[in-house]
Amino acid sequence: MPVWFRFVAMRLFRLALLLIGVAVVAFALAKMSPVDPVTAYLGPNIAKVGPEQRALIAARWGLDQPVATQFLAWLSNLASGDFGWSATYNAPVVDVIGSRVAASAALMGLAWMFSGVIGFSLGVIAATFQGGWCDRVIRVYAYVLASTPTFWIAILLLMGFSVALGWTPVCCAAPIGLLPEEVTLIQRLHHLILPLVALSILGISQIALHTRAKMIDILESDFATYARAQGASRLDVALRHGARNAALPAITVLFASLGELFGGSILAEQVFSYPGLGSATIAAGVRGDVPLLLAIAMGTTLVVSLGNTIADSLYAVADPRIDIAAGAPLREIGP
Amino acid sequence: MSFRACLTAVLATSALAAFLPSASLAAPRTELVLAIGGEPDDGYDPVLGWGRYGHPLFQSTLLTREADLSTSPDLATAWSLSDDRLTWTITIRDGVKFSDGTPLTAKDVAFTFTETAKSGGTVDLSVMESAVATDEHTVVIKLKRPWITFVENFYALGIVPAAEYGPGYARKPVGSGPYRMVSWTEGEQLIVEANPFYYGKMSPFKRLTFLFTGEDTSLAAASAGKADVVSVPATLADAMPHGFTTVVADTVDNRGIVFPMRRNEGEKDAGGYPIGNDVTADIAIRKAINLGLDRKALVDAVLLGHGTPAYGPADDLPWSNPEGRVSEDEGAAKALLDAAGWAPGADGVRVKDGLRAAFDVIYPSSDSVRQGLAVMLSEQMKPLGIAITPKGDTWEGIDRVKHSTPVLFGWGSHSPQEVYSLYQSGWAGIESYNAGYFENAAVDGHFEKAQAAESLEASYPFWRQAEWDGKTGFSARGDAGWAWMVNLDHVYFVRACIDVGQTQIEPHGHGWPITATIQNWRWICE
Repeated sequence: MPVWFRFVAMRLFRLALLLIGVAVVAFALAKMSPVDPVTAYLGPNIAKVGPEQRALIAARWGLDQPVATQFLAWLSNLASGDFGWSATYNAPVVDVIGSRVAASAALMGLAWMFSGVIGFSLGVIAATFQGGWCDRVIRVYAYVLASTPTFWIAILLLMGFSVALGWTPVCCAAPIGLLPEEVTLIQRLHHLILPLVALSILGISQIALHTRAKMIDILESDFATYARAQGASRLDVALRHGARNAALPAITVLFASLGELFGGSILAEQVFSYPGLGSATIAAGVRGDVPLLLAIAMGTTLVVSLGNTIADSLYAVADPRIDIAAGAPLREIGP
Repeated sequence: MSFRACLTAVLATSALAAFLPSASLAAPRTELVLAIGGEPDDGYDPVLGWGRYGHPLFQSTLLTREADLSTSPDLATAWSLSDDRLTWTITIRDGVKFSDGTPLTAKDVAFTFTETAKSGGTVDLSVMESAVATDEHTVVIKLKRPWITFVENFYALGIVPAAEYGPGYARKPVGSGPYRMVSWTEGEQLIVEANPFYYGKMSPFKRLTFLFTGEDTSLAAASAGKADVVSVPATLADAMPHGFTTVVADTVDNRGIVFPMRRNEGEKDAGGYPIGNDVTADIAIRKAINLGLDRKALVDAVLLGHGTPAYGPADDLPWSNPEGRVSEDEGAAKALLDAAGWAPGADGVRVKDGLRAAFDVIYPSSDSVRQGLAVMLSEQMKPLGIAITPKGDTWEGIDRVKHSTPVLFGWGSHSPQEVYSLYQSGWAGIESYNAGYFENAAVDGHFEKAQAAESLEASYPFWRQAEWDGKTGFSARGDAGWAWMVNLDHVYFVRACIDVGQTQIEPHGHGWPITATIQNWRWICE
C-alpha cells in the first residue's frame, strides 16, 4: 500500500531528524551546564586530589579535547554502533542502559497499561453516574492523588503493607540475600506488587479525569439524547456509543505520558530499590556524564515519538472517520 | 469450609510463618543484612578509588587502622622510609592468596600502585615517581619529593591481582580481603561471603547482604525485621525500631565556614570572580565569631543533640591540637571587637571606618542541616553586632562566590593531607581546597616539616604546630581561617543481638565506614 508506505517513510524521516536535533541540543546543553564533571566525579575525595590528578582524569575522559572534537568523536563512534563509555558507572553505556532497562520494563509497562485500563474505566463510570456518590468518590480519589507527592504515597504503602502487615517485601526486585539465578517467578511477581500498585494508582487520575470530562460531553450530545429517548439507559449509552468516542483523549494522555515513565522509574528506585533507569538519568545529568545522558535522551525521544505514532494510528482504529494516512485532521465528534 | 475454619487455617499458617524465622534466630547468626548505603556507581575497583572510605572489603591494604586509629600491619610486614624521605621499602607478607587462590606477591603491589597512578581515578598518586617489585616480597616506591601523607595510600589502596586486572574488574573484583563478591544487582543489593583464602582475622559473619535502599526504606526494612544494621540521618535518630540498639560513632564529619582572608582589592580568580572580603579580612571579626559561637546550642538545635562541637578540621585525631581552641565567651568577643575599632552603629550592627560588619554566609540549599547551621549562626552573631545573612545556593553558584563570601563547607578525613589542602598557601584558590586564600608563612613551614617527617607518627607534632604553635597557627587562637561549628554524629540502628565493638572516629561519609571493624563484630544472643 503506497499510502501507508509513504506514511511510514515520512515518519521515519522525521524521527531521524528529531533524533539528530535532540543529540545536538542535548550535547550543547550538557557542555554549557556549569557542572564540572571532574568535580562531580571526585565528590568527597576532592580535598585529597591535586590539580595534576584532575588533569589526568579529564584526559581519561577526553575532556581535554575541544568541544567540537568531542562531539564528532561521539558521533563517529555512534555511527559504528558504539554509544561510548559512561564515566559515572565505569562501563559501556550500552551495558548501563541494558542492565537497567530490562529489569524495569515489566514494571513500567504493566503500570502504564493498568493505569490506562483502570483510569479509563473509572472515567466512564464516573461520567455515567455523574453527581452520584460513585462519581464523587472517583473524583475525590483522582484529585487527591493528582495533588499528592508520589514519594509520600509510596512510603505510606510501604509502611502499611510491608512493615505493619508484612504482606509485601520492603525492597528490591528479588528477595534479600538471594542470588539472581535462585529467584523464582513467584518471588519476582511478589516483589513487583507494591511498586506496581504505587505506580498504577498514580497514573490513573489524569486519564480518569480526562475520560470523565469527554464522556460527560458525549452523554449530553444530541445522539446520546436520541438514544435515551429510544429507551437506552445512561450506562447503555456510555458503553455502546460513548466509550469508543471517549477513548480518543484517553489514548492521547496515555501515550503522551510515556515520557513520564522515567519519573515513575525514579520513584520505584528511590522507595522500593527496584532497578531502573531513573537514577542513572539523574546521575548522568548532575555529574555531566555526556555519553550516558545523550543515549538516554535519544532513547526517550525514540520511545515518546513511537508512542505518539502508535497513538495516531490508534485514532483511526477508535474512530474510522480519521484517516491519518491521508493526513486528514481530527474532525469534531458528532453523531 | 466454613468462614471460621478458613480463618483458623489462615491464622495457623501465619503463626507458622512467624515462627520459622524466630526458630532460626536461636543459633548464632552467621548472615547479616546491612542497609548502610554507600553503593559505588563505578564498582569495586581500588585503582579508581574504591575503598577510600571504610574498608575495601574485597581487597586488603598494606596497613590498617585499628578502632583507635593506631596502625597495624596488614599485607606489609615491614615498611621503612629512607633518610632522604624519597624511598619507601615495603616487605610483603608471605603466603597471601587472592580469593581465586592465586598468590599475592610484591609484583601485584607494584602493579596496583603503578596502575593507580596512571588510571585517572579519584586516587592522587602524582607525587609517586615509580613502584617496583625488587623480588617476590619487596616493593620499592620512589617519591618525587618528601611527602609523608603518601602513606594514606598504604591504608586505603586495596591491592589488585596484576594477572586478573582489566576492564570489567570493577564488577567482578578479586582480592585478598576478608570477603569475596557473590553477586551485585546494581541499585538493589550486594551479596558477599567470607573469602576462604583470607589470612587475617575472620568475622563470625560468613555472608553479608548490603541493601542499597534509601534512608526511609532502610528504616522500614529494619522495622519489618529485614535488616540488621541501618544507617540513619540525625533527624530520624529517635525513631528506633523494637529490638535494636543505637550505635553512635564519633566523627570528623565536620561543618564550618571558611573566611576569605584577603581584602577585596579588585583581584579576580581563574574563573574571573572576585577574591576577598573586607569584613572577614579583619582578624578581629574572625576571632570574635569563633569566640561568640555557642557550638553546643548548634548541636542541640540543628542536630537534635546528635553531634559534637567542632573546633578544627580534625578534632581528636592525632594530628589535631586542642590547644588551638578558644573557649566560647561572648564578653571577650565584644571586647575584642571594641578594641579593634568596631563600634556599634545605630541599628546595632558594628561599623569601622564606614564599613559595616555585615556579610552573607552561603550554604548549599539542598542541605537542610547546613541551612539550619547558617540560620543559627546568624542569630548567634546578632548580639555581637555582626550581621550575617544566610543564603542558599547551588554548588555552581557557590563556585562563583566562594573566594569572596564565607561558605558553609563540610570536610573530614582520616588523612592530614586534608588539613594541608585547606590551609597551605600554595593551594589557595585551587578548586575548593583553600577557598579563603589562607596564608601564613609559619603554618606553611610546619606543613613542610610535617611532609618531610620520617614517619606519619613523627609528623603529628608538626601538624599540631600548624594548628597552634604557641604564637600562631590556623586555629581560632591563631589566624582563625575558619569558624568550625559542629561534627555530625553518625547514627546506626543495630540489632540488639549484634555487638559491633568500638567504632572508629568516622570521616565525612556516613555508612560504609562502620564496616572497617567488621571482623570484631559478634553475635551475642543465645
